[in-house]
Amino acid sequence: MDTTKIKKILLVDDDIDLLEQNKILLENKGFTVITAENSEDGWKKFQQEKPDVAIIDLIMEEMDSGFVLCYKIKKSEHGKKIPVFILTSATYDTGFKFSASTPEEKEWIKCDGIINKPVVIEELLAKIENFY
Amino acid sequence: MNEKYKILIVDDEKGLRIGTQRLLEDEGYDVVAVDCGEDGIRAGTEQDFDIAIIDLKMPDYDGLEVLKRIKNSRPNTICFIATAFASYDTAIQSTRLGAFGYIPKPFTPEEFLYQIEQGINQRNLILESERLKKEREENLLELASEKSRLNAIIKSISDGVLVINKNGELAYYNYAALKFLDLHEIKIGDKILPLLNKNITELVEKIFSSETILLKSYATQIELKPNNELIVEAAATPIPHPDGSLAGVVIVLSNITEFKKIELIKSQFVSMVAHELKAPLAAVQGYLNILADEKINLPKEKRQDYLTRSIVRLKSLSDLVNDLLDISRMELKTKHREIEDININEIIKNTLQLFEIELKKKEIQVEFKTEENIPTIKADYNEIQRLITNLISNAIKYNKEKGKIIINVSSSTNYLQIKIADTGIGMKPEEKAKLFNEFFRAKNEKTRGISGTGLGLSIVKKIIDSYYGKIDVDSEFDKGTTFTINLPINIK
Repeated sequence: MDTTKIKKILLVDDDIDLLEQNKILLENKGFTVITAENSEDGWKKFQQEKPDVAIIDLIMEEMDSGFVLCYKIKKSEHGKKIPVFILTSATYDTGFKFSASTPEEKEWIKCDGIINKPVVIEELLAKIENFY
Repeated sequence: MNEKYKILIVDDEKGLRIGTQRLLEDEGYDVVAVDCGEDGIRAGTEQDFDIAIIDLKMPDYDGLEVLKRIKNSRPNTICFIATAFASYDTAIQSTRLGAFGYIPKPFTPEEFLYQIEQGINQRNLILESERLKKEREENLLELASEKSRLNAIIKSISDGVLVINKNGELAYYNYAALKFLDLHEIKIGDKILPLLNKNITELVEKIFSSETILLKSYATQIELKPNNELIVEAAATPIPHPDGSLAGVVIVLSNITEFKKIELIKSQFVSMVAHELKAPLAAVQGYLNILADEKINLPKEKRQDYLTRSIVRLKSLSDLVNDLLDISRMELKTKHREIEDININEIIKNTLQLFEIELKKKEIQVEFKTEENIPTIKADYNEIQRLITNLISNAIKYNKEKGKIIINVSSSTNYLQIKIADTGIGMKPEEKAKLFNEFFRAKNEKTRGISGTGLGLSIVKKIIDSYYGKIDVDSEFDKGTTFTINLPINIK
């Protein structure tokens, strides 16, 4: 496990404030952070920048746009090599509950983990380390 | 003879009394013999004799009087009138008073014993039918055949009613119960528990299994048809006998489908509100955490920027709370309305003035056209102002730079019409469909950066509905949106 190689993180969130905050927090830990405010831009930046980690907000323009982007990334050649996390507060508030704990669920959601808002950076780093 | 039948002889004539007593005792009967009416009444009312033989003529009491008294308190005692003065009249009279037979004196032992035997048979029949009746009553099986008005009412109410006795037999039902539970071809006395929904069976068994009879109901909600199509609440209550023992259970089924639907909408709304409140809170909290973290080095401008952004998010949170309070007041109708004559043009002019800065910033032109002599409408000033403010605010927010807002006011006999058109970003048809939903905000590449609570138009719709008005939307994506409002002129 060599996490020092992990440099670039792609963050996709339509709440520009949360995007900014998570960017600062991750930059503070020494990462390069690329941000996108919607899934279209997120997909573009993913292809251009080939990040080492992608973190995608679940509910953006459409209810499931986070899922859709996640699915697209995970199907791509580069996406298979990196961890992709879904960022959400859905588990708390909306009663819309899911987890990605079993292999079946991961297969269905196509992501490598769920990160609850607000993001605890240490937890996020642990998840990234787990993947690599 | 398995048991000794008890016979009472009331006769003042000693020879006859002793003779019949001996005769009966020889046959195995248990006999009490008394020599006067008074003792006869006492003995015959204090004990339940199977048979009483009463002499018609006695010095103290008339035999018919003795018969009457005994029958009164012991209606199942079989009584015979014995007499040497048999007459047609007394025969009729004694039958009327409940005598089973008439024994003319003198009689032969065979005749006498034959009559007694007949009496014993009758007594057994009566006791047996009494026992059966009592048993049916105990098992509540008489309920269904009671011909009372109350029964007719229970049969026809829309709530389902089922009575199950302690043997698990169906004792009573009404039509609604059969419909709810989809039961066919069942009849009183059927073992019903296996045919019922298992949730109901559980309730019944809970009551049957409790050792002491508590007058406590158990209730449960059951989805009888999938997808929330039919939900009933089943409440089971024990039915006690007068002595306090358990007779059975009455189950009442009420259709609560509509209530459940409302409950669902309510909880969805609450979770949406929570979600909407959490977003700005999380943003502000995030900024403050970063600003408070000594390990994070930020340039001065960034710190200032974060504070400004926090203020913006808190403002939107406070707007949201205000809108929510407005909606709740409107729904609870706790808002006090002051109805007065409202000049709509005046409100529109005032509102446009309030938005002067925003209009200038985006360089939006306003065209305001109105017919002459627009009638006033009777309404609450603040509500109409809120309505106009929300619509004009949207026309500015969702407009393009250097766009236009065209406002048209006209009137017909019954309606005042206000048209507010903008040359803004418009809506896609699927967005238009959800326009008045709480918290719906069109989210697309053009709406990015436009703030709002998602409640503005829902408030507009509620205000218009409360005045029995109408709102129509015409919109084309990337071209603009027109709202047309019709408010009745003569609102009471």
